[in-house]
Amino acid sequence: MSAAPVENNSSDHTQLASYFFDELIDSMIMDVASESHRIARLGLDRNLDDEEEELRLSAQARARVADPSHSEANSKYVVDIFGQTHPPVASEIFDCMNCGRSIVAGRFAPHLEKCMGKGRKARVKSTRSSTAAAAQNR
Amino acid sequence: MSNTLNSCKHLLDYKLRYGNKGFNLIQKWVKNGPYGKAHMLKSKSEVPKCDLCCGYDGRLYICLICSAMSCCVSNDDTDNHAFLHMKSNIGHEIGVDVERCELYCFGCNDQVYDLDFDKAVMCELGNVNLDGVRSSGNKRKRLNFDIGMCSDFKNFKRVVGLGGSGDWDHGRRISKSCFPIGLRGLNNLGNTCFMNSVLQALLHAPPFRNYFLSGRHDRDSCRKTSGDRFCLSCDIDVIFNAVFSGDRAPYSPAQFLYSWWRLSENLASYEQQDAHEFFMSVLDRIHEKEGKTRNTKKDNGDCHCVVHRAFSGLLRSDVTCTICGFTSTTYDPCVDISLDFNTNIDHRSPNKPQKSTETGHISTLTSCLDVFTRPEKLGSDQKLYCQNCEERQESVKQMSIRRLPLVLCLHVKRFEHSLVRKASRKIDRHLQFPFSLDMTPYVSSSIVRKRFGNRIFAFEGDESENSTNFEVFAVITHSGMLESGHYITYLRINEQWYKCDDAWVTEVDDEVVRASQIYLVFYVQKPSSGHKSSEDVGCHLRSSPSGDSFVSIAGCC
Repeated sequence: MSAAPVENNSSDHTQLASYFFDELIDSMIMDVASESHRIARLGLDRNLDDEEEELRLSAQARARVADPSHSEANSKYVVDIFGQTHPPVASEIFDCMNCGRSIVAGRFAPHLEKCMGKGRKARVKSTRSSTAAAAQNR
Repeated sequence: MSNTLNSCKHLLDYKLRYGNKGFNLIQKWVKNGPYGKAHMLKSKSEVPKCDLCCGYDGRLYICLICSAMSCCVSNDDTDNHAFLHMKSNIGHEIGVDVERCELYCFGCNDQVYDLDFDKAVMCELGNVNLDGVRSSGNKRKRLNFDIGMCSDFKNFKRVVGLGGSGDWDHGRRISKSCFPIGLRGLNNLGNTCFMNSVLQALLHAPPFRNYFLSGRHDRDSCRKTSGDRFCLSCDIDVIFNAVFSGDRAPYSPAQFLYSWWRLSENLASYEQQDAHEFFMSVLDRIHEKEGKTRNTKKDNGDCHCVVHRAFSGLLRSDVTCTICGFTSTTYDPCVDISLDFNTNIDHRSPNKPQKSTETGHISTLTSCLDVFTRPEKLGSDQKLYCQNCEERQESVKQMSIRRLPLVLCLHVKRFEHSLVRKASRKIDRHLQFPFSLDMTPYVSSSIVRKRFGNRIFAFEGDESENSTNFEVFAVITHSGMLESGHYITYLRINEQWYKCDDAWVTEVDDEVVRASQIYLVFYVQKPSSGHKSSEDVGCHLRSSPSGDSFVSIAGCC
């Protein structure tokens, strides 16, 4: 890098600008080199090999799973690991802890919503005791 | 951080002869620049130039011994006046790069590093908030955290075997007769997969699981001491008992749903809920209850309830004034970290060739964490008050993790709510995530150190009580559309992945989990002794610093 010329005409202005620009670029490159060098020497860099490996495994996994013939990802359940099968709607029956009625597990939530008076389609469930009490209080 | 700095023999010789004298001499010229980049300023009135040629070009170096300034324009010896300086003055090999405050050895032609030099530079950066605890007036006593749950194991009433017996083939169980305890399907009660997925993760979060299985929540005394009809801790205790009982028929967590609805009026409805919201609400209820029972009003940072002992971490937020460099630090506890989905594509798919039109780029969980801890320039409409300038200035904000939790829950913000379009949408993009996660780059000591050019200095919390290595144990995925999607949980037990899809529990390979669309990922701290969790074979007692002791029994079913 030679010393900047001092003549005062436009092509030299361009040269001058170019010279300063080059100095700036050099300085920035040196900044990056110095920072990276420090990180590498002090052992602060992340383990890039592990990261590459993880990315590779991820890409491989996505490719394999996307394959229509892939057994696990796209198949319907036949049996679970305990050898059991389950219906689409859970069929266990238990008592609602709000109203005491017997409810099918798979329909418990919508039932509870109405039962507790929540949600758009709910009406507060009236029982004989509540209407009687209401009558008394009038 | 590596302890061997590979100091060259020239630097070692220099230190032997001069100690820190040279460093102290040049200290007065060290000046702070923007973004923590230190540089040297010998004279305030003169432009720095080479003593030999009076030139301003190239890089300038100050000799550590005689403070001569020399330039280095190119590798040509004639243009490298710093090198010439060394040749003509025996022993003057080490110089300081004026623009960067870095040591350079002209004997080895390489940048070299020294702890005392870095310390000297750091001292001169003045007004710098190095102490991780003392900050602008916020309360901060040293936070001592009892992270070991060892004491719980004295109360461990039931021996729990996490490894099954059965035949082994290349370290993987091939016999289907025995499965880990605690694996049980959960019935969908009507759009309740959001609840089932979160329950599965909680059931297998080690500190949480250990707490309840040790009988630490006594339902009888809970009922007697509190007036509340509903207690999520009691309900979850019932679920733990049921799920770890060995009974494999799917369990219906109906009471839990009922209690949760009674305690969370605003969220109670038959519609599909957001699993993350549900998770936060459950943790909140359990924490609240504990607070009432113990009759203490502790703020979240110091709380010792099971929720906070398991999930609570501490986030550090640094706001730096762009005008004067003053940094104000605050700490906030958190039970999870929500990450913006990093749509900035930064990784190339390793199997694809690099074409200019190639769009095979992958988003990763670690890049989301990078974005989370990146310095963020706040807009000019968000000027914050600077104590030093005594007025509002444009600032840069940076987050980091001051203390890692035992269980790290990372929430990927896939659901975008646009106020402009008044619509929500789901980001379906795949997000790569590692099975083993090293959180070192995201902790406060690393972030702050990086801010000061990675200078070697002791930072509070460096030799941390906590390990920074984490291992995944549960992943909650969301598939489908925003309103009508489905949540499932993948659990990792003894390096085997299980898919928990409501009532259906099946075994899946690593790749199925890797390829899934993650929404919530749960990592647990790996013991810092470096003891890698391995397959349990037969009976043995295994303990680790984090208190995870198990006695595995044969025939665990």
